[in-house]
Amino acid sequence: MLILSVESSCDETAVALVEDGRKVLADEIFSQVALHSLYGGVVPEIAARSHLEVVTLLADRALETAGRTRADIDAVACTYAPGLIGAVLVGVNFAKSAALALGVPLIPVHHIRGHIAANYLAYPALEPPFLCLAISGGNTMLVDVRGYTDMSVLGRTRDDAAGECFDKSARIMGLGYPGGKPLDDLSRQGDDRTYDLPRPAVHGDNPYDMSFSGLKTAVVNIVHHAEQTGQAPDRPGLAASLCRAVSETLVGRTMDAAAALGYENIAVAGGVAANSRIRADFEAACRREGRTLFVPPLRLCGDNAAMIGAQGYYEYLAGHTAGSDLNAYATMAL
Amino acid sequence: MLTLALESSAKAASVAVFEDERMLAFSIQNAGLTHSRTLLPMAEDMLKDLGKTTGDLDRVAVSRGPGSFTGLRIGLAEAKGLCWALQIPAVGVSTLEAMAYGGPVLDGQMLCCCMDARRGQVYNALFTVEGGKPVRLTEDRAISIRELESELVARQEPWILLGDGAELCYNELDREQVTVFIAPEPLRLQNARGVALAAMDKAPVSADELLPVYLRLSQAERERLARMEKQ
Repeated sequence: MLILSVESSCDETAVALVEDGRKVLADEIFSQVALHSLYGGVVPEIAARSHLEVVTLLADRALETAGRTRADIDAVACTYAPGLIGAVLVGVNFAKSAALALGVPLIPVHHIRGHIAANYLAYPALEPPFLCLAISGGNTMLVDVRGYTDMSVLGRTRDDAAGECFDKSARIMGLGYPGGKPLDDLSRQGDDRTYDLPRPAVHGDNPYDMSFSGLKTAVVNIVHHAEQTGQAPDRPGLAASLCRAVSETLVGRTMDAAAALGYENIAVAGGVAANSRIRADFEAACRREGRTLFVPPLRLCGDNAAMIGAQGYYEYLAGHTAGSDLNAYATMAL
Repeated sequence: MLTLALESSAKAASVAVFEDERMLAFSIQNAGLTHSRTLLPMAEDMLKDLGKTTGDLDRVAVSRGPGSFTGLRIGLAEAKGLCWALQIPAVGVSTLEAMAYGGPVLDGQMLCCCMDARRGQVYNALFTVEGGKPVRLTEDRAISIRELESELVARQEPWILLGDGAELCYNELDREQVTVFIAPEPLRLQNARGVALAAMDKAPVSADELLPVYLRLSQAERERLARMEKQ
């Protein structure tokens, strides 16, 4: 089954062609990073405008790359939630009218489910059940993946996403936008014990919930204090200490959950999975505890449409299709 | 030639199907529901009621702006999806021109098309009517009501106000200086019938080339330019 998939939830416009949920025939991406970097973050209106300008070009290119025609398309899948609403609307409305005109089913896909499904593309043998930590600029959640479309959130951030903590910290440290990559690079030159940053404590009865806003505030305070006292902060040391603090929280919660639920397989998904400290800590922890780690390659960690096509296939098998009244949503339960 | 026309630039969603210049069906929904839910089902149902499918379409006409940024993008993304999948051309028409085509097109009539652009401005274009068709007197633009007023006064004619900004203009214009009438409601608001009519003699483009005309930058871009000017 060949699925044309569309992703437009944030600052990447992407169109892909995926066969049977596992084989990527085309994976076209237009990144808007250059458009938003002038503003120090994603501007929703600029994102939505850009999606509309490039979506058909990417769809044309996907067919060309795959060497297929419109007649080969068996279904159209799209991210319908969560995301920047003006941005998601573009992909949803393009996808649903294309599905109507092609006379094929329309499959709505939850963006985070798509990130989790990036693992199916990277690891052909991986099947649920497994435990997945989904970490991105907008989301941080620990997911019990019992089946391809049967999953529940074990814990999540109570405030900022891990990626948001990285981006905001990078901005205050003068590393620009997007800050994840430069922060990661800088951290490798520093000592991760330079600063004693807080490990966010979360009150309540869910041991898997997380919090990152306090950590972000601590970084802001260190930088401001250094400015006021005229002493330059140890930037590599701060970057390394921050990566360590975020990683210890994420890896710790995930390994606790894996032990409690008895999961052998642990997957990581989303743009923050590109962070080298988090990858290394997960590798070490899984080796120590005898669990198997799955982390998609960098290209599949960020937003892309191939992952939407992968999850779309399993949503279709589960009978999850929509009509031309499908709407887009800024927020949606997993 | 079968044309599907879409209009979603303001609060109402509207769809029409034309066979050449003959209107086969027309609908409008003004219940405040999001266009993302209503516009495509309206088109799908209309084609079905006509015993046709999307495969029968020869082109899709859509209002390309000005208007609500999100509303425009819903109509344009749907037009792009249909045209891309069917490999048929698209025609993007000015929302203000479509408004004139959908209005009281009586020869000699002066039409003032206006939409509330906020921030003290209206999106506006002026037309007269010749041979039953609107003829442009100005380009589409975003201008203050005072600027519009001086243009209307200079032309010394009674004007018919059209669009969702008609009431705003009627209330704000100095009616001692200029004679204005508000068009009756069925003729006042932009709709897909006007879009289809305005598209008749326009050159079609590909789905790729179909683009919105917002007439205004995003807020972030405006503020950035203002900061740069200050420095």
